[in-house]
Amino acid sequence: MSAGLLQQMLIGALLGLSVYLPLRCGQLSLATPGFFAIGGTVAALLSTRIPAFAGTGATSPLPALLLEMGLGGLLAALLAWAIGGTVLRLRGIYLAIATIALVEILRVITLNLPFTGGALGIFGIPQPFATASGYAGFTLVLLALVCWLCARLEQLRLGRAMAAIRDDELAATCVGIDTAAVKLNAFVLSALLAGLTGALAAHFLNSWNAKVGSFDASITTLAFVVFGGSRTWLGPVIGGLVLTALPELLRPVGDLRLIVFGLVILLGPVLFPQGLITPQALQGLGHGLVGLGQQLRGYGHQLLERANGPRRP
Amino acid sequence: MTGIFRLQRRTELSARTGLGGRRLSALSLALLGSALALGGCGGPDPEQLPVNLSQGVPLGAVLAMSGNANVYGQDQNTGLSLALAELNGKGGINGKPLALKIEDSGSDEPGANAAFTLQINRGVLALIGPTLSQQAFSADPIAQRRRVPVVAPSNTATGIPEIGHFISRVSAQSSVIAPLSIARALQLNPGIRRAAVFYAQDDAYSSAETTIFQQALTAKGLKPVTVQRTQLNDQDFQTQITAALQQKPDLVVLSLQAVDGGNMIRQLRELGYKGAIVVGNGMNTPNIYPICQKYCDGILIAQAYSPELKSPANSAFLRRFQASQGGAIPPQLTAQAWTALQVLAEALQRLDRRQSLQQRNLAEARQALMAEILSGTYQTPLGEIRFTPEGEVIQKNFFVAQVRMDPSGKSGRFALLP
Amino acid sequence: MDLIQLLLNGLSLGAVYALFALGYTLVFSVLGVINFSHGAVFTLGAYFTYLLIGGQAGANGLLAGLQLPFALPFALALPLAGLASALVALLIERVAFRPLRRRGADSLLALISSLGAGVILVNLIQLLMGAESYAIPIGTLGALPAALSLGGAQVRTVQVLLLAISVLLLVVLSVWLEGSRSGKALQAVSEDPVTAQLLGIDSDAMIRLAFGISGFLAGVSGGLVGLSVSIAGPYFGISYGLKALGVLVLGGLGSVPGAMLGGLIIGLAEAFVPAAWSGWKDAVAYGFLFLILVLRPQGLLGKPQATKV
Repeated sequence: MSAGLLQQMLIGALLGLSVYLPLRCGQLSLATPGFFAIGGTVAALLSTRIPAFAGTGATSPLPALLLEMGLGGLLAALLAWAIGGTVLRLRGIYLAIATIALVEILRVITLNLPFTGGALGIFGIPQPFATASGYAGFTLVLLALVCWLCARLEQLRLGRAMAAIRDDELAATCVGIDTAAVKLNAFVLSALLAGLTGALAAHFLNSWNAKVGSFDASITTLAFVVFGGSRTWLGPVIGGLVLTALPELLRPVGDLRLIVFGLVILLGPVLFPQGLITPQALQGLGHGLVGLGQQLRGYGHQLLERANGPRRP
Repeated sequence: MTGIFRLQRRTELSARTGLGGRRLSALSLALLGSALALGGCGGPDPEQLPVNLSQGVPLGAVLAMSGNANVYGQDQNTGLSLALAELNGKGGINGKPLALKIEDSGSDEPGANAAFTLQINRGVLALIGPTLSQQAFSADPIAQRRRVPVVAPSNTATGIPEIGHFISRVSAQSSVIAPLSIARALQLNPGIRRAAVFYAQDDAYSSAETTIFQQALTAKGLKPVTVQRTQLNDQDFQTQITAALQQKPDLVVLSLQAVDGGNMIRQLRELGYKGAIVVGNGMNTPNIYPICQKYCDGILIAQAYSPELKSPANSAFLRRFQASQGGAIPPQLTAQAWTALQVLAEALQRLDRRQSLQQRNLAEARQALMAEILSGTYQTPLGEIRFTPEGEVIQKNFFVAQVRMDPSGKSGRFALLP
Repeated sequence: MDLIQLLLNGLSLGAVYALFALGYTLVFSVLGVINFSHGAVFTLGAYFTYLLIGGQAGANGLLAGLQLPFALPFALALPLAGLASALVALLIERVAFRPLRRRGADSLLALISSLGAGVILVNLIQLLMGAESYAIPIGTLGALPAALSLGGAQVRTVQVLLLAISVLLLVVLSVWLEGSRSGKALQAVSEDPVTAQLLGIDSDAMIRLAFGISGFLAGVSGGLVGLSVSIAGPYFGISYGLKALGVLVLGGLGSVPGAMLGGLIIGLAEAFVPAAWSGWKDAVAYGFLFLILVLRPQGLLGKPQATKV
């Protein structure tokens, strides 16, 4: 597997997490590609229009990338915060459609703005990393950080409130959870994550255009979560990684490639209704890790004993 | 180690609360670990090894064979397969056959990047593709950084060869082709006064070409009376057409892809438009015949390829095409794809004669091949072509043709205007 | 531009959206699930129609050059294509929906599995028939004029025909739903499958019926739209999917007359965007949808609904 593909998979995993966050509290928001597009557009504009962001060296400066990611994420989060109060009153499929409409509106705006390059988009985006491995390393660290935060979040009051809303919104209200605020928080976090991922993706893709945020992308990112599992953060990560890699890994099948891909998407939910990763499976994995830890400890003791052996009188 | 110990102690608690935060953090630490491991890959650099000729002379193509641009990729695939048969039939590269691997890029940028990377890692000497200009802006920089020659068979946007030294194209830009058809239309109908312009706003080719068309019209003193925008997914153009017809145009200029354009022509005629129609380069394919059928008759088209060109190269191409596709007329994209492979093959032949490919390492061979591509002159189905030092194509012949449909309205031809 | 012309333009656009949405909404009304394979079945219907009237497959698919030994008149080919599409829809129900329903799984899953079915169909069509576009011959409607004139405004005859047929289908569907035994049974299943089962209604059979009718409608509308515009390759129907989804929600999810109304309203909203702003057309359509959702989430004709996805 090439580092370029790995990078694409990691972006998929981050986007999966962005869809997962609102879904964690039962909100089916498909706005992720729209926020992703915003982040990318911010990064593309800043790094191609402002010389300081491109830098003078062979690669553009890393702080510029971090700043773009921050700004892209922030702009997306601001938009989410501004409209969240209104759209999050919608439920289920109605919220899904409203967010798809939002993605389409953003796409048309990007297409029509005088400074975003129209259909061709913005190109010649400078590179903060010289190689795809550089990107993949950076993105892995980012993904690990986001995963750690998601895992922490599930322990925090906010995370537990989110889960409570998903299970039974009425009951959650009754126990005093401010459901509107919790949902808004999740929505804003989702936008923030999609926005900063977009800023990173724009550099990696060298060019950025309005097509990035489309209906197709909305559905694909949703498939990441459903396929991987929507009950723990590891589900969308695995879903994003696997479904992004699959069309590439299926190249040896030739003309049947996308037919097999379709078959996997069709059979995935049928065979694994909870997704590939369920809390139970994770529990098993966790026990596995603990087991591994015990074994390692065993080896450690043996090693220590051997190492210390000769010194014993 | 301590992390794992603590993990064990917390297991019971985690089991109760469902998801153990710390254990999960450990998982994310594992992710981080693999990030660090990623830096440590090694091995000999394949680019410093000799070119691998065991399967033939390795070349790659990346085409949009799935997704909404699939029909272009399909046309290009035909051109490459036919050219490969022709070139290998004539002995390949001085006796060594060409080994061309064609990969699908889908119709988006990540797909093009993945396919480019895959081909480059396979050790190809040069790449043909990608199909769409948007994909080129995304994938070509990868080839440029890895110093792999690219010959683009269909990118017409401004700024493609400027991506870098290793990027060239055989597809001429709209800026050189489009004005010809306007000039010819005015020559045929000197009375034209009012031009209406249509283009697909979310399509890179259409929006680039319409700018050229509009400039050409304005230069002739025919500032468009209306400019109508469509979207790639649109199929019903009644709104745009009736709005335009209110301005009583006597010339309609279309920059649309083949399917939209064919539908547009049919709907224009059905809604009563009688004047002249000039269409852009994107409709230079017989794929439009079944769409606008009898209504295609009489439209003027600017061509970068004419099936009616009399030359040995075009005859060879036409012979192969008609044998495989049953007497049909080749689309421009097919001819351009053939041309791209022909250019690469001829440059490789010259390079190999100078010093055998076997004696070069991959990086050297790629570098030398690029110089060789740019220095040659090629007799192709498109006519004679060569390149500027930047890799922009210089094409000797452009054409303006008029579509003549046969009485059944099912097929026709692009009759060259003298 | 004068008002009649704008109305005609809107109805012309809307007729196609409405036609697409009728079958789409039927499955939703029964299962509460968006069937993402609907667009692909629509495409399939267009290809079936094309082949049945004697069309020939192009040179690029596995079926290169195939032509059926007979050529049916369009009026006969269309319902047959509808039936063939219905069979495919039943197959999709069997593979992508039923196993999930049996387990009482989250309806989000069926959305993704039906998406997978759509991906398979689209790529299968490309494998068999190539990526090229096909078209139903222009003379198929016989001697009808290409366009009609109404008070100086122009409209293509075929669009009027599409509108008329979609109204007709709507009436037939509504009469059947409201007036017949099986139609009422279907409604009962959509209201409450458990109670319906208790009342002795075979809900599985009813769901199959809904899929069959939905597939038939998809196939027939594919063939009809193919009469108006070319069959633009394997993604032909997919491109309508997004807008049709908006149409469903606008009219009220699961409401059959709502689908019709929603289609016409979106068509009109697009037609009323002035020419100078035609690049913003889609933003207007979706902005309008967004506004309706916020103001009246259940859609124009929908009943307020509990949390179905």
